[in-house]
Amino acid sequence: MDNTTDSLLETFLFETNSLLEQLDERLINAEKAGSFTEDDVNEIFRSMHTIKGSSAMLEYQSLTEVAHHIEDLFFYIRENGMDTLDEEQKSELFDLMFKSMDRLGEDITRVENNQPLDADITDFTNEINSFLKRIQKKDADSSPAALSKAASPDVSSFKMDAPYLLRVFFEPDCGMENLRSFMLVTALEDKDLTFQFFPEDVETNSSTVGTIAENGFLLGFSSEKDAQSAIRVLKSTSNIHTYELISNQSNMQEEAGIPETAVPGKTNHTPPAGSTLLAGGSAPASHTKQSLISVNLSKLDKLMAVVGEIVITESMVIASPDLQNVKLDNFLKSARQLRKLTDDLQDIAMSLRIVPVSSVFQKMNRIVRDMKKTLNKDVRLTIIGEDTEVDKTIVDSISDPIMHIVRNSMDHGIEDTVEERLEAGKEAQAEIILSAKHTGSEVIISVEDDGKGMDTDAILAKASRNGLLTKPVEEYSKKEILSLLMLPGFSTNSEVTEFSGRGVGLDVVRKNVEAIGGVVSITSEEGKGSKTTLKLPLTLAIVDGMEISIGGNIFTIPIANIRQSFKATNEDIILDASGHEIIKCMDEFFPIVRIRDLFHMEEGFTDIDDGIMMWVEASDKSYCIFVDQLIGEQQVVVKPFPPYLNNFNIKHSGISGCTVLGDGNISIILDIGSIYTAAQEIF
Amino acid sequence: MSDTTSTGNLEEEQQTTSRFLTFTSDNLVFGVSTDNVIEIITNYMIRPLPMVPDYIRGIINLRGQIIPVMDMRLKLGKPFMEYTASTCIIILEIDSLHIGIAVDSVLQVQNINTALASPIPIENRQELTNLMLSLEDGTVVLLLDCEAVIRGSL
Repeated sequence: MDNTTDSLLETFLFETNSLLEQLDERLINAEKAGSFTEDDVNEIFRSMHTIKGSSAMLEYQSLTEVAHHIEDLFFYIRENGMDTLDEEQKSELFDLMFKSMDRLGEDITRVENNQPLDADITDFTNEINSFLKRIQKKDADSSPAALSKAASPDVSSFKMDAPYLLRVFFEPDCGMENLRSFMLVTALEDKDLTFQFFPEDVETNSSTVGTIAENGFLLGFSSEKDAQSAIRVLKSTSNIHTYELISNQSNMQEEAGIPETAVPGKTNHTPPAGSTLLAGGSAPASHTKQSLISVNLSKLDKLMAVVGEIVITESMVIASPDLQNVKLDNFLKSARQLRKLTDDLQDIAMSLRIVPVSSVFQKMNRIVRDMKKTLNKDVRLTIIGEDTEVDKTIVDSISDPIMHIVRNSMDHGIEDTVEERLEAGKEAQAEIILSAKHTGSEVIISVEDDGKGMDTDAILAKASRNGLLTKPVEEYSKKEILSLLMLPGFSTNSEVTEFSGRGVGLDVVRKNVEAIGGVVSITSEEGKGSKTTLKLPLTLAIVDGMEISIGGNIFTIPIANIRQSFKATNEDIILDASGHEIIKCMDEFFPIVRIRDLFHMEEGFTDIDDGIMMWVEASDKSYCIFVDQLIGEQQVVVKPFPPYLNNFNIKHSGISGCTVLGDGNISIILDIGSIYTAAQEIF
Repeated sequence: MSDTTSTGNLEEEQQTTSRFLTFTSDNLVFGVSTDNVIEIITNYMIRPLPMVPDYIRGIINLRGQIIPVMDMRLKLGKPFMEYTASTCIIILEIDSLHIGIAVDSVLQVQNINTALASPIPIENRQELTNLMLSLEDGTVVLLLDCEAVIRGSL
């Protein structure tokens, strides 16, 4: 039992979260347009209805209430159209809706965290109600008519023209009878049954609760077969107390006698009801049910691991030394086919984890909107490439960093007043461009604003005040100054504001991004704006690597870190005062790290002439490493080290993981960022 | 009366008797509970790791699983001996952690009554072992303390 509730809860959270996300997006777009389209109104109405229904099932009172009131509000708007609202009311409506979204979102978070829900929501529902009353008052003439029309129709006036009737009674006191009826209707529609039902407006009219509780919910079928299959559905539906099958033949004859009144009235009425249902909740919902399933991420991780194994094992089999020098035509043919299939399998497994970044980007819309109001700055957010796809884990972990950068731009980047902007010869409306694009094995996400840019002198002054400078002020290049921003304990704004600068700054952004193997860089031009760029790997599980050897051992260097590899001679090496080796490359000087010496390996070249030099880069570190030879490029599946080895602080010695090569041997993946740190400790 | 005591002893003995895998390292006989032993492998390519103590020989790829290998001799401070055909790696699972230990040779699996084992005298105590006992044939077995094996950099 617990298990079913758990999975029910999980589905509920998943559904509601995605509904809220969609609504948020819709609201943002609608607000930009200044009004809700008919589509928006219908969609909001339906979503609220779904949320209301499902939270009532799980007995989340406050969620149900809030959704219920918004539903009422949008019922009214749907009936009367957006045009009845004046501009002020529209903006009020938007604010109210955003507030409600937050409210629902908070409640969902509470449910997720197993916290009790806020029981007292009367203030909030009153707010919605009073707004509804206000807009109703405006056209007081039309609304009572509309409402009374919607109010429960007389049961006695009802005649069902179907030969077989099913009268369904729900369990007494189960509550929300109208919703349960509607769910029943949806379930039956999924079974492709044609039928009529009464009361017809169960989806929209909550006053039908009483009618259904008293007289039951009536379903009319044209054949006994349909009625029987409906009974099967009823049996599997919960909360149904009793049902009875009534043969309605006599009624039919009666009705046939008075066709002018009952039947046409009926036929005129049913199709619209049916068609709105089809166009509305049920049809798209059942469609998504079929094409989308949610899967636990850890299962995908396992799948990925197994697929990685298969790929490796496959090359082990094909490259098996036993098969060397043997002519096996058929084997090779099958082997090629196998390779193709495993490649496909790997691609598919990879693509399962890949999702568009749009979910993160859309959140920024909301942040910009809220901050715009609070900070009183006119800013538009332009989003480019939101359909760029990245590994799910990466999408999840860039949300906070991007949010932080956008907030920073809003708060510190954009000029405080319009006058300031106009004086600088810019448009009154500021712009923040959030863009994502693929470049080979990386995704580049950038946040660009056309604000005042960064004041390098101020940054330097602040850094020196905070004691963050490691060399004389004059020696800092612009790039270095900007990277000071990302040092722990640096925040250019001395005041703590609501949105950014809570003592944590860009250093957290950098830490988060680096944790997933990305790089952050900032460029800025004073007076013109600044741009923060995140370079991220597409996925964490598979890395494009360059295999190199030192002695008999093979290492893998992520291609993303490699700038260049070149042959050097002993004459190129320059020794600094303390005897460290330095090499000149592209007119710049770089320190050399000999991996052989760093790892105290017994084998490997010592003569610079024999080996090869690789210029590597990781975040702000750029240097050369000396290795024996390059073997080749290969995609590798990254495996973490066994936890036992953490005892030896292995992560700080410049290696980040290992991978199994095609021949079953292990290659160690070098972590370019930490090698340099490790090397410095040794020197 | 005498009957009951003997059955009692038997039961007791059964409770404290468990199967141990015995192996040698530097002419010492060690025993490790078979509950912890996953498998014994020979002739495996060990990939050395940089920046670890010498008794960590490296990591092996056991059917896709990466497992660290510790050398018993080096761990016990004995001189290193090149691996031969009789050198075995015993894969142990301790607290769901996998670790391989390289030993000179594996002897056999036998029942050992741990109740008969006694603590190792303080002055002879070594890392990794906690109990010792002598078998019927006179050999002395040191029982491996699995917890100590994974306790890491001692």
